[in-house]
Amino acid sequence: MDETVAEFFKRTILKIPMTEMMTILKAWDFLSEKQLQNVNFQQRKESLVQDLVLLCEKKRASVHDAALLDIVYTQFHRHRKVWDVFQMSKGPGEDIDLFDMEQFKSSFKKILQRALKNVMVSFRDAEENAVWIRIAWGTQYRKPNQYKPVYVVYYSQTPYAFTSSCPLRSNIPLLGQALTVASNHHKIVKMDLRSRYLDSLKAIVFKQYNQTFETYNSTTPLQEKSLELDIHMDSRIIHENRIEKERVQRVTQETFGDYSQPRLEFAQYKLETKFKSDFNGDILAERKEPLRCLIKFSSPHLLEALKSLAPAGIADAPLSPLLTCIPNKGMNYFKIKDK
Amino acid sequence: MEWANDGKSKGGVLAHLERLEIQVNRSHKNLEDPQRAQAVEHALRTKIHKLRCLRDELRSKVKRRQARVRASIANEEPDQTQEISEQEVAERRRRQENVKAILQAYRFTGLSGKLTSRGVCVCISTAFEGNLLDSYFIDLVLQKPLWIHHHSIPIFIPLEEISAKYLQTNIQRFLFCLCEYLNAYAGRKYQADRLQSDFAAYLARPLQRNPLCNLLSFTYKVKLRGQLFLFCARLLYKDLTTTLPTDVTITYPETDALPPSWEEQRASHENLFFTKPLHQVFTSFARKGEKLDVTRV
Repeated sequence: MDETVAEFFKRTILKIPMTEMMTILKAWDFLSEKQLQNVNFQQRKESLVQDLVLLCEKKRASVHDAALLDIVYTQFHRHRKVWDVFQMSKGPGEDIDLFDMEQFKSSFKKILQRALKNVMVSFRDAEENAVWIRIAWGTQYRKPNQYKPVYVVYYSQTPYAFTSSCPLRSNIPLLGQALTVASNHHKIVKMDLRSRYLDSLKAIVFKQYNQTFETYNSTTPLQEKSLELDIHMDSRIIHENRIEKERVQRVTQETFGDYSQPRLEFAQYKLETKFKSDFNGDILAERKEPLRCLIKFSSPHLLEALKSLAPAGIADAPLSPLLTCIPNKGMNYFKIKDK
Repeated sequence: MEWANDGKSKGGVLAHLERLEIQVNRSHKNLEDPQRAQAVEHALRTKIHKLRCLRDELRSKVKRRQARVRASIANEEPDQTQEISEQEVAERRRRQENVKAILQAYRFTGLSGKLTSRGVCVCISTAFEGNLLDSYFIDLVLQKPLWIHHHSIPIFIPLEEISAKYLQTNIQRFLFCLCEYLNAYAGRKYQADRLQSDFAAYLARPLQRNPLCNLLSFTYKVKLRGQLFLFCARLLYKDLTTTLPTDVTITYPETDALPPSWEEQRASHENLFFTKPLHQVFTSFARKGEKLDVTRV
């Protein structure tokens, strides 16, 4: 086995935590059950990695097999990457989408390989008609760099693709073009949506985050509002502003629903508006040019945090539509200008 | 409470004193006119007497009625009354369950709904060949303009296109159009699932399919007179409202030409895929195979 390939295997396997080693190797499906059984998983990680690399060498594993292992690792650790969302569109009056996965893969690969001399593309099919694409970029004189790949997750027969941040910005247009042409689309646009949580991004753009529907067939009784429980908990406590609390609860429930919110880590607002002030003769209010500032809300779970603002008494209900429109509009980057 | 505010209390006391003064003057007036006062007094006394009589009459009536009711209850057997009320309750519950069951059964019509606080939640239940398949929901907000609050329709169904065309102008057409697309998708998916699960033995390679199930590609085994051939079939469903393909291409993967008798088979297979659902075609293949085995024996 080539030294660089062996090194690539070593570093990829080293990334895998010991607790997940078996699961990931099984998902990779390159080493057989029998071969895995013969390996001692109780030894120190460095020696385990050496044994596994030797095993791969014996089985004549190639750089493509290593790339597939890298994809499997990334699928298990998808939140280590920050994902952007791209939306494609078809031209007017275009034919029905007869998507052929094999055709897509070969077309995508060809477009990249025609444009760049050294590029390595790997594919792995995933659940729900998605395909994970791993692209390792090289230059005219250098082999592909396996340690800075770009991942693209494309859901077939949808206009959406999710990409991990690309270290080489210059390759992004080419990537977009390859995706568009291979999937029979016309245009591609980057959405103002970014997060580590790929599944939440998917739920937002596919509008799948609210899946509770009222039917006559539902056997689960309506959830009792948590506020009512609080009030009846202790009869010695009198809630003075019960009516207001109930109103806040109702407004929050109407805006955010009863479902669990998709997970985002931040919302960013770029303001380019004139400063508005109540005080006359304020220096800032006299400025004719718009004031530029950036407001960033960060949270381990932004939407749940926003949902709890009004019930906690920190903000008035209803919240500003700039905050509540995030999942609906599919944006967490906003540019606000004066009308 | 009148003493709380100083300004007001003084007014309150003075006003009170005024009132008392007026009363005294009035009573003085009455003393001046004793006859009139006496007449008024007499009238009031008679009124009081009448009211008291009426009150006593009503009281006795109530007592009598209560006694009657108690007597009638005591006469009847206590078990009977309990049973009747239990029966009534059971009957009411049965009627309620019946209505609930009817409402739930509307699902089988394919298109049903439930009113919500803001509009209606429509349920489209798909079916193919008498098999009930998945249900899809659309929660509509009944406002001007009508809009979709949330839904469970798969992303590859052209919901935006259909709503742009019909949602505002003809909601019936919107729902029927959506029903068409969803039922056709469910039917194609059913055929593909059946092929993968029931006829896996006939496939040389796994079935290739896409999310909409409108492009199916597979290689299947055909046996005739002891010879085994492989046919590659490619089915395209360009009309998303149908469950039968619009394009069928069957090719022979080998480089040598196909013997003429096999060419007939190939053409007839193409025709079969055009006219019958996928899994039914394979069922007929299976039956033909059985027939041949029987004739050999």
